[in-house]
Formats: sequence, structure tokens, C-alpha cells
Amino acid sequence: MEIKKVDEGKFVVPIGPQHPALKEPGHFEFTVDGEIVMDAKVRLGFVHRGIEKMAEQRTYTRDLYLMERVCGICSHVHGTAFTLGVEKLAGVTAPPRAQAIRVIIAELERIHSHLLWLGVAAHEGGFDTLFMYSWRDRETVMDLLELLSGNRVHYSANVLGGVKFDINPVQTDQIRRGVDYLEERTQFYQKVVTTDNTFLGRTRGVGYMSREQAELQGAVGPTARASGVTRDVRVDAPYSFYPQTPVQIVLDDGGDLTARFIVRIKELFEAYRLVRLLLDNLPEGELATRMPRRIPAGEVISRVEAPRGELMYFIRSNGTDMPERVKIRTPSLCNWGTITSTAVGLKLADMPMLLAGIDPCFSCNDRMIRVRRAGEPGVMTWDQIKAGKGGWSV
Amino acid sequence: MLQGFMTTLKSILEKPVTIQYPEQKRPVRSRFKGRHVLKRYDNGLEKCIGCALCAAACPADAIFVEASENSDENRYSPGERYASTYEINMMRCIFCGFCEDACPTEAIVLGDNYELSFTSRTDAIYPKDMLLEPVPEDGSPTPQKVPAGAFDRAIPLMQDATD
Ligand code: SF4
Ligand code: SF4
Repeated sequence: MEIKKVDEGKFVVPIGPQHPALKEPGHFEFTVDGEIVMDAKVRLGFVHRGIEKMAEQRTYTRDLYLMERVCGICSHVHGTAFTLGVEKLAGVTAPPRAQAIRVIIAELERIHSHLLWLGVAAHEGGFDTLFMYSWRDRETVMDLLELLSGNRVHYSANVLGGVKFDINPVQTDQIRRGVDYLEERTQFYQKVVTTDNTFLGRTRGVGYMSREQAELQGAVGPTARASGVTRDVRVDAPYSFYPQTPVQIVLDDGGDLTARFIVRIKELFEAYRLVRLLLDNLPEGELATRMPRRIPAGEVISRVEAPRGELMYFIRSNGTDMPERVKIRTPSLCNWGTITSTAVGLKLADMPMLLAGIDPCFSCNDRMIRVRRAGEPGVMTWDQIKAGKGGWSV
Repeated sequence: MLQGFMTTLKSILEKPVTIQYPEQKRPVRSRFKGRHVLKRYDNGLEKCIGCALCAAACPADAIFVEASENSDENRYSPGERYASTYEINMMRCIFCGFCEDACPTEAIVLGDNYELSFTSRTDAIYPKDMLLEPVPEDGSPTPQKVPAGAFDRAIPLMQDATD
């Protein structure tokens, strides 16, 4: 690792973009005095793919598929945010059954995302047993999602105006069984993260963020709720089927890493409850309604609660079948700011845990910069790729 | 300490949760969207008529289709035209399955193959012969010589899919 000298006794430790903690690219510069971090800088943008620009050149239907691919973990909420926005512009409301199915998938996705996070965070804390256990159990919910949609990650449940697939009674039973099993396991994990001394030594009091700080820095999602900020789009501005199935907000005043673990684990219980409730009260009816091809001109902001926090879509339509502008603001981006202040005063060794604590997702927040070195082809034509002119070939 | 040993002992007797992947494979669900297959009719004719609707629908612009004229001496597919070039760039493809929805003849279907690998960008473009399914048993390979007028209709009469 290259170490840059800044001034007397202080060093800058650059970490990444090949990230040592999370398997995603991000670059960090920590100014350290001995072991203690004095300052932190974050540089993002390594996995920019130009999705927003692409969206402007495609019809709404095609965009939906792209939006689902913004994030590899919470693909469904991105699709939901986009569809809800477009439906609002078009003045169409999806039938109740479709809305309920959207929420079921969203909650199953939250379970999958939180379990994934639990594993990653435990791994960063050196607690690999918990990592393996939680990922093993995560397979249960992945299987359920695969059962419903045929795919493990991109469920592709949404279409403009509704959903693509139904949930039949057999699947309902399987989901119930899966959720029961997961609930039992989650109780065990709750016990582990709140009582295991070694683990608590790495989380308790680490990365403390006060409520004021969280509000000032615009933290969202479980990161904010672990500091006692009452911020949850499902509660503040219920969308889709949430008005009918109110969510109980999960809060914790701890503000440290332990609190972030507790909030996410409690949210798992809340998600289990919601999934069960929805399966019991699944409204009957159609799965989709007709959607106009051309969307009336207008602007809309669509907010949903992703597993990591508030996800916002801004869509502007000019009356054609393609959006004029789509802007995506993902929760990870809001939470990055908190890192720069919570890192100060911690040991360098706490950094992976701290970073994992906000559950960052790089691929969904990188849409800002285009990195291009001199001499590199900016755009490759089909023929160039076929002729092997695109570089990267052997 | 005994308790610790008991845990170990118990886990030894448990069924492993992992799958020995290349030897053992997990079956995929019917909705799974894997690598594309270009289908043929029972007599071996290709279903694809080169209309490029899939290319127009594709959100990722991953498909490239070029059509040429069919004739009764050299018939690849029913109707006037067939796809002389059909390529999918697997590196662009996002496996959304929209091409399958767009196709009027149900020629392109996302199969169950998820073992895609290539070592260069060039190899990532799958040409038509890699995508086409093998000729069915009682069919013959394309181009076929067929009686005039027998296969003029490009889009077959279709019933709703029952799966
Ligand atoms: S699956 Fe989707 S991305 Fe892939 S070729 Fe078909 S339409 Fe394009
Ligand atoms: S696969 Fe279907 S949509 Fe695509 S060119 Fe062939 S017939 Fe047309």
C-alpha cells in the first residue's frame, strides 16, 4: 500500500478502488495520525454506466428493464420507483393485487438485502461463522424469490401498470414456511449480535452518530433510524400497498454500529410480519391495467424505501414515449457523507466495519463521472468489437 | 468445551448445504431467463423471419439482425425473409427477456443455460449458428428446397401459450 506523507506525523492511506472490504470499487483516503483516523475522503464513480443518459433514448417500457439493473441487490425497488413515477404521470393506478405483490416482493427483497448485509458486516468484523450462517439462510429467501420470479436477483416483477406474475396458494405456503424458518434464525442472530462479547467489542460505541448529526448530513434508511431519526418513506409517505398495511418504524437511539445491527435485524422481523399479513390479505383481481404508450408531459418525483433507505426518482416527460430526463438518487449516496464525520477519531482497523455499517452499494450510486483515458475508444461500434478492436481481448 | 464438540459433531452428521457445482447442478425454474436459443419448426425451418423487432425492443441494444430474401430453392424460414445475420452481444445483454416478448413468431426464447463465458469482447458476440437450436430429428437443415408456395406465411397461426 502506498503511503503519502502529508505533514509532521500524519499520513494519508489510500484504499481502493480495489476495495479491501466490500467487493466493489470505491476509493478512500484516510488521513491517519498513528492508528487514529483524522480525516476521511471518499471518491466514487468507478462503476458509472450512463444509465440515466441511456434512459433518455429509450421508451418507458425499455427503461424499466434498465432501471431494474441499476442495483444488483435491490433491483425490485428501482423498478417500483420508476413504475410508480410513470404511472403517476400517466394517471394510471395499478390494481390492488398488483400493488400487494409489489410490496411482498419488496419486503422479501429487504429480507434478502438485510441478511446479505448481516453477512458482509459480520465478515468485516472477522466473524465469518455468522457470515456463513446468515448467507446460508439467505438462500431460503433467494429460493422464494426464484420460486416467484424464476430469477434470483432480477425478479422483474413490475410492468408499467401492474406486475407480471401472480402468487398462487402453493407458493404462498412455501413463502410462509420460508419466513417461519427465517424468523427463527433471525432470533438467533439477534441474540448473537447483542450478546457476543467479541463482536460487541467491535461494534459497541464504534462510529457513533448523534441524531442531530444524522439529520444534518441527510442520512437515510436504517443508518438514520439507528440514530433515532424517524425517517422511513413507507411511514412518511406510504406508497403502493403500504397505506393498507402500515409499517411500524424501527428505531434505536444507540447511534453506533450495534444500533445499526439491531435496527436492521428488527426490520427483518417487521418484514416477516408484513409478508405474512399481505399473504393473508392478498386482494383479488387483475394483475395489470392498460398503460398509454405516450406519457403526458409533466414532472414527477417518486420516492420509495429501498433496503438502504430512501430512493428517489425524478422523471420528466415531454409527452412522447421516451422520458426527457430521469434522475436517480440512491440511498447509498446520502449515507456516504456520514462516513467522513463518523470516521474521525476511530482506528484504521475499524474502517471496514464502519463502511459496511452504512450498507453501501457502489453500483447504484455511481452515475456521475465518466472515466476515459487518452487514446481509449470512447464508443465502440459492433464491427469494431467483432474485429477485436475493443481492447481487452486475448 | 464439550458443548463445542457436540456442535461440531452435530454438523458433521448434517447434510451439507453446499452443492458441488460443476458436477452437480441446480435445476432452474421455468421463469428463468438464461442464454437465448433460436428455435426451429419441426421440419427444421428456422422460426426467425429477420424482422428485427427483437433488436428494436431490446433495452440494451444487444441484438443485431440483418435480413435477406428467402426463395423456395433456398428456404431458411417461412415467409419472404430470414435472418442472414443474427448476433447477440452477451456482454450487453441484461437477460430481461423482452426480445422474447417482442418476437412475432416465438423464434427467440431465453433458455436455461447460465454457463456463459468468453475471454474477449469479440467472443462475447454470439453468432447465429451458436444460438440456433439443433435440427430436430425429422427435420432437415436449412437452407431447404421446398415446393413453391408451401411456406409463404411468415407468421404461423398461434394459440395462446399454455405452460
Ligand atoms: S434478453 Fe433483453 S437485453 Fe438480452 S437480447 Fe433479449 S431484449 Fe436484449
Ligand atoms: S427473433 Fe423474432 S423478433 Fe427477432 S428478428 Fe427473428 S423473428 Fe424477428
